[in-house]
Amino acid sequence: MSRRLLYVLMLSLLLPAFASCSKRASSPKADVVIWHWMTDRQASFEKLAAEYEKEKGVRVVFETYAPSEVYRDKIRAAASGKLLPEVYNPLGDKREMASFIKSGYIANITPEMEKGWAKAFYPKPLSQNTFDSSNEFGVAPGIYGVPIDVSAIEIYYNKDLFKQAGLDPEKPPQTWDEFLEAGKKLRSAGIQPFASGFGEGWLIGVFAASYEWNLLGKQGLIDTYKGKIPYTDERWVRVFKLFDEMKQSGLFVSGIATMVNKDAERIFATGKAAMALNGSWGVNVYYTMNPNLNYGIMLPPKLKEARYPMAIFGGEGSSFNFNPLSPNKEKAVEFFKWLTEKNQQIVLATETRNIPANRDAGADLPPILKTFAENINKTFDPLPVIEDWRVTNIKNLGLQAIIIGEKPSAQVAREVQAEKERQEKDKQK
Amino acid sequence: MTKLSRDKTINLLFILPALVLFLIFNFYPLLRTFQLSFHEWDGIALKMKFVGLAQYRHILTQNPAFWRAMGNATYVTVLALTVQNGLALLLALLVNREIRGDNIYRTIFFLPPVLSGIVVGLIWKWIYDGNYGILNYFLASCGWQSFANYSWLSEIKTSLTAVAIVHMWKGFGYGFIILLAGLQTIPRELYEAATVDGADAWQQFKHITVPSMIPVFTVVAILTILGTMQIFDLIYSMTRGGPAGHTDVPITRIYEYMANGEFGYSTAMAVIFGIVLLSVSVVQIEASRRLNNK
Repeated sequence: MSRRLLYVLMLSLLLPAFASCSKRASSPKADVVIWHWMTDRQASFEKLAAEYEKEKGVRVVFETYAPSEVYRDKIRAAASGKLLPEVYNPLGDKREMASFIKSGYIANITPEMEKGWAKAFYPKPLSQNTFDSSNEFGVAPGIYGVPIDVSAIEIYYNKDLFKQAGLDPEKPPQTWDEFLEAGKKLRSAGIQPFASGFGEGWLIGVFAASYEWNLLGKQGLIDTYKGKIPYTDERWVRVFKLFDEMKQSGLFVSGIATMVNKDAERIFATGKAAMALNGSWGVNVYYTMNPNLNYGIMLPPKLKEARYPMAIFGGEGSSFNFNPLSPNKEKAVEFFKWLTEKNQQIVLATETRNIPANRDAGADLPPILKTFAENINKTFDPLPVIEDWRVTNIKNLGLQAIIIGEKPSAQVAREVQAEKERQEKDKQK
Repeated sequence: MTKLSRDKTINLLFILPALVLFLIFNFYPLLRTFQLSFHEWDGIALKMKFVGLAQYRHILTQNPAFWRAMGNATYVTVLALTVQNGLALLLALLVNREIRGDNIYRTIFFLPPVLSGIVVGLIWKWIYDGNYGILNYFLASCGWQSFANYSWLSEIKTSLTAVAIVHMWKGFGYGFIILLAGLQTIPRELYEAATVDGADAWQQFKHITVPSMIPVFTVVAILTILGTMQIFDLIYSMTRGGPAGHTDVPITRIYEYMANGEFGYSTAMAVIFGIVLLSVSVVQIEASRRLNNK
């Protein structure tokens, strides 16, 4: 074998390895590339993008990466390599979003919003994309994201199963005691009362959070996160105890402590549970799984002793952020101005059964979605501080431990407080 | 250029592609892992903060959840080493006796290891499910009505063992194939001579099979330990470490920290975990070497 041939052979073996290190192979000719995780909306997005191209001559490409964990990993890897597309969402909490902003990966769109764009939206989802001057992350105040839809998490209930258990399907439980009573009646009728993806830490946290707001209010939560109110405070212990009461009343479906939300959705859609804590996106999910499901929605039942109004998780449904490093950022912003106009929002809302972010587009929603939309003002206010994720994690694991009967609520409170103190100490170092 | 140095150059050129790939995809990430473990970094920020050994100290002294996860992985590993490999050896001995259809058995036993961990996890999650799982349906129809809604993966008593059973089901085929290959290398004449000398089946197993198989047992044991301690996909698809951390293993902890933007801390965990695995393997190899020399 000649030496030249040998070198050619070596080179041909090495080339494929280096080819994979080249720049992101984005779709050819795309002016704006949008990475998202919402597989159920891809068809509608593509339809709207085609319409926009016909109208404005700008080619927009939506690329789906699912599930959301995979999407999150992809975004972080792309950020490290400075390979982010024009539009994306880091899918993290405010702390993570702040890190993206401070690293120069998310653009401040306040000037665009101040030109009148902001008026189109519900205030809550917009405020969740906003950093005010008192934010704890050191981010310059401004609006950094645009919501395309809004969401709220409430309790769905199956009207047929309620009727079967002798409950009034038009009067779902309003108070905690009624809720427990309903659970007992359903259980004695051989119906599993309550399902949710409590195996996913965030959803069990969402349910608890409604009662945290109900018992402690906004200031109480801020004070807790700042370390002024301990988790061993009787109001916190009460929040933890609610899960024990639910367990004692037989409310939980089998396996709820490791259940992911997809399974909980299937259980509710197939009539194997009478109630389910889920987001407004569930309307589309349940329709896909069982179009004849006869259900209503209710707020989490309030506590008699609570001093504050019941609040729910929600506001921002899906938002998008713009990459300031992209030369086509302006084109991307223009596309989103068009996408959040009333007509396009109606198309999205109708085809994907979600609540549009544009207030004017919400008038003709189906009744269930309309109720969700009306409750957007009941969603949690953004807080100027957030809890350390490790403390939240210990809290969510503690709630699971209560559900499986491993720990009493007082012990969970002590463990959460111990973690809080550990984190406070670490921060001071 | 002399012939010897020309040959050396040509040899080097032949291994160059593999060497380059190894350096890029193995060695460099390893170095970066070590480097990262001494820094605080969220995976996004442009700058990393050097913290020295602080993260290592924290993991060793103030992270009981990580060590509980290590305990869970050890429990599954002990089960895999004994039950899984015991079953693999038993089946390998049976198939080695030239029974009819041995090729079919080999294929069947080797099927689970080639399936995706996530897919296997999801299938078994469905089997174990307390609401519509077929295991409970089967048990209830056999008269055990108390199991009708039992959630195997959500109960403290059964969750980790239930996951371990799936892991063993998925993994025993590997051990089976390696052990079978090992058994087939033992000369038949040894058994024939032993039979002539009046040794029974147990004596033949004890005095011929076991000593001849020690190097193979070592390989299988090391592969089992490394494979089981690093279990992740099954756990993630079945329980996500729940309920309340009862099926957490080191990799789920590392993944959780990384998902929450603690890149430096999670790589420090990975380094500690790697050192533990390396130490176990070294001890194992040394023990087997001594056994072999006896």
